[in-house]
Amino acid sequence: MAAGSGCAALPSSRRGLALPFKMAAPAASTSFLGLSLGSRDPATVRRRSRGPRNRKKGWKRWAGPEARLGREIGDFLEDVVLQQRGKEKPLHVDLVLQPDSKVPAPNNILAHQIPNGRKEKRRRQFWEKQAEKGVLPRAERRLRARLRRGGAPPDKAPEKGRSDPERGFYDIWGADNPLDQALAGQDSWFLQQTKKQRVKRPARLQTKPSQVPAVEVIAAGGSYNPTFEDHQALLLRAHEVEVRKKRAEDKVERQLKIPEGAELPTAETVFQEQCEGLLEESGDEEDEEAPAAPAEPGDAPKPAPRQEKKTEQQRRREKEARALVRGRRRRVAGRQQELFRLRSLRRQVKRWEAELLRRRQARLAKRRAKDALPRRLGPLKYEEPSLEVQLSDELAESLRTLKPEGSVLRDRFKSLQKRSLIEPRERAKFKRRYRLKYVEKRAFREVT
Amino acid sequence: MGGLEKKKYERGSATNYITRNRARKKLQLSLPDFRRLCILKGIYPHEPKHKKKVNKGSTAARTFYLLKDIKFLLHEPIVNKFREYKVFVRKLRKAYGKSEWSTVDRLKDNKPSYKLDHIVKERYPTFVDALRDLDDALSMCFLFSTFPRTGKCHVQTIQLCRRLAVEFLNYVIASRSLRKVFLSIKGIYYQAEVLGQPVTWITPYTFAHDHPTDVDYRVMATFTEFYTTLLGFVNFRLYHSLNLLYPPKIDGQADVELKPAEGKEYAMDSESYLEKLSALSASLARVVAPTHEDEVEMDEFPVEGETAEQMDARKKEQEALEKHKKLFEGLRFFLNREVPREPLAFIIRYVVGRLSLGRPATPCLPPPVTLRVPPPQWVFDSVNAKLCLPVADYFPGVLLPPHLSPFVTEQEGDYVPPEKLKLLAMQRGENPGDSEEEEEEEEEEEDENDKEEEEEEDESEKEEEMKLKKMEEQKTQSNKVTAGKLRLEDKQRLEQEQQSEEKRLAIMMMKKREKYLYKKIMFGKKRKVREANKLAAKRKAHDTAVKEEKKKSKKARRA
Repeated sequence: MAAGSGCAALPSSRRGLALPFKMAAPAASTSFLGLSLGSRDPATVRRRSRGPRNRKKGWKRWAGPEARLGREIGDFLEDVVLQQRGKEKPLHVDLVLQPDSKVPAPNNILAHQIPNGRKEKRRRQFWEKQAEKGVLPRAERRLRARLRRGGAPPDKAPEKGRSDPERGFYDIWGADNPLDQALAGQDSWFLQQTKKQRVKRPARLQTKPSQVPAVEVIAAGGSYNPTFEDHQALLLRAHEVEVRKKRAEDKVERQLKIPEGAELPTAETVFQEQCEGLLEESGDEEDEEAPAAPAEPGDAPKPAPRQEKKTEQQRRREKEARALVRGRRRRVAGRQQELFRLRSLRRQVKRWEAELLRRRQARLAKRRAKDALPRRLGPLKYEEPSLEVQLSDELAESLRTLKPEGSVLRDRFKSLQKRSLIEPRERAKFKRRYRLKYVEKRAFREVT
Repeated sequence: MGGLEKKKYERGSATNYITRNRARKKLQLSLPDFRRLCILKGIYPHEPKHKKKVNKGSTAARTFYLLKDIKFLLHEPIVNKFREYKVFVRKLRKAYGKSEWSTVDRLKDNKPSYKLDHIVKERYPTFVDALRDLDDALSMCFLFSTFPRTGKCHVQTIQLCRRLAVEFLNYVIASRSLRKVFLSIKGIYYQAEVLGQPVTWITPYTFAHDHPTDVDYRVMATFTEFYTTLLGFVNFRLYHSLNLLYPPKIDGQADVELKPAEGKEYAMDSESYLEKLSALSASLARVVAPTHEDEVEMDEFPVEGETAEQMDARKKEQEALEKHKKLFEGLRFFLNREVPREPLAFIIRYVVGRLSLGRPATPCLPPPVTLRVPPPQWVFDSVNAKLCLPVADYFPGVLLPPHLSPFVTEQEGDYVPPEKLKLLAMQRGENPGDSEEEEEEEEEEEDENDKEEEEEEDESEKEEEMKLKKMEEQKTQSNKVTAGKLRLEDKQRLEQEQQSEEKRLAIMMMKKREKYLYKKIMFGKKRKVREANKLAAKRKAHDTAVKEEKKKSKKARRA
């Protein structure tokens, strides 16, 4: 490809021809070499590099309209010359680039063949015939239907749920409410089997777990402007709670306290305690004597036991006989005596029954009292909320200056727990899975 | 050993209960979803009687549910919605992660949602059942309507709560069913009577600003969602029972007012409408134009089994109610800016004064007939007492009388504060003016003499002596002209004496054990009386202290 200025771009064969008018201009200079008074020595002159090569100027030189025109003219003239002169000797460059292998290059069949050409042709013909009949392929049909519909439907409003502020309500307890209308008039067996009808709610779920009222009004001393007595009564209650807490704390401290005057154990006393009983020798001798003695009397009275056994047996039998007789007599006499003891017996029975009744009632009362308390539903116990009370100096003088005490949110939460509707919960703590590792930075390590 | 052995924990209470984690796995839900489902359906954990049996030998504290309850939960259609929502969240998160914004928009448009109507119908099959649970619902709705709209809880829930709360307040105004109001340090307690059921609820002060961290907001939000649905349906029914349109429309120029002036809107239509409604200053439109209802007498239907006394009592109640409805007729109220607006607006509108905001001394308005500037407590106390209380007690500068709780009913023997006594006297119709004058005269006398207690004792003793003398005279002088009175008094006294003698005889005849119990009971009763006396003495001491301070200040001023 030709490059560079207009003169060098032309092939050698064209140098003799008349050059275009622009190219002729620099040749017609005044001096022999084209140097004037102010010009520099050509040997030392350096083409000043004005910035990167791919600048606008460079592009204009190559891609600009003059260069393009020049190239076109050059190509045209080349063709003209070739036609005039006939074929020339090809360039070495061109020869080198020719393929020199005897193996021919593979044919590109895609240049003249379409894969599945026949099949596609048949399909095209088939659909053309169908189109004549009026049957269209599915994609076409859907497109046309969509166009008929008028394009994509407008954005349908997103389904609003249970918290929509503008939602409407209806008479849910009336005879004709939308919930039941969908199922109206159909067989109940059918509805039940197809799971369209809702399962009946069991009756045991109608009762509430606790009889405590939902909203418990604060005592009269909790008014923003209370009477003196009510306020004092409420302060007394709060005071009692605090006293109880303080007492529990004091009790624990008392139990942990070391009594005054007691001597703390030192190492010596501890050692002495541990050594007690280890170093005495008189105790060992006594122990040795004792087991030896009972072994002896066992041998001597061997012949005597036969007689004693018999007599013993006899004695035992006589005893039993006597006891039997005695028992019989006693029972008979006792039955007679019981007649006279009827009244006291009756009294005894009544007392025992009364005792049983009392125990039963105590159990029932205990169970009822337990029902009134909040149930123990989980690992945490229910904690009563602290009494809301304002001290005498905190009481507001007017509604304007009132500072509210306590929070209704917390009060409601605790009330739900008290009525055993939810289990008492505390905030989930952040647990670290792995232990933290502390590393000192290098600079710091050098300092310390 | 032959035969099948009975193994432990296979029958009985051990199989009736199921732990929370097992139940959750059976339902295939996550823990927050399971909790939400239980709250919505009203399934509560149970505490078994014998924990060891149920827990298979261990006494670790676990949460137990009845197995039958969990099986009932399996049929709930909302469970599928929970699972769909879980899938939706997963897809949304993926689309966000891949930055596929069109997918995100499409998913958000098709967000799965559910409604709780069928659960409300299932839990409250009749309207009266729903009214019984209205306390809780109202408290939660009013609480949530005061939350700030920062996004911690869904803003939609807060808006819905506000709308429902305002609707209910309008209903109470229209039906005149408010009975008691109590301003406490925690909040404002109201009690209204809705179709015969007393309903109590608490409203927080709007200027309270605390966010306790130990409260589970998700649990409260779930409760509120359910209660908003319930309250909406109840409101609908209540409005229809009064022949009012639901959703409520302001009577009269409904359409004209809603259209913005000059074509410029600076608030949404719905919002401005809600604001107008929440101003509580207009009456509501009715379904059918009401005929002139004033001065219609109730028909008397003699009910079987009712005696004449009960009918008289009912008549009196009716009259009292009607009087109560016309408490402040004709008065105009001006609300100052510093006063909490909504509760006061509600109370005043309830009591049918004409309500306007702003200071009374504006030149454009015509001068009002009676220029009174009482503090808000006057209105509340009047509503509680069902009387128009004398405003003189409530002027600023004078020490405000205390705000008594209407929820406290004193029993016999308990201490009754003197303010309450005054109120009761006024309700009965006695003029408290005389007693005040008497008290003032006595005070002056005491001031002069400086022998307060002794004088009082002397006076009381003197009174007793007079009484005794009278009794003796009447007993001896039975033939005088005043025989008629004498006999009446004698009869009364005779009856009393007879009763006390009978009582004494009965006590003597009691067995030792019974007497012991009786003595214990009487001791307890007397203790109450003693405490009441103690409180009275405290009150006296306080009053005297106050009086002395006043005297000192007076003397200082004079000197």
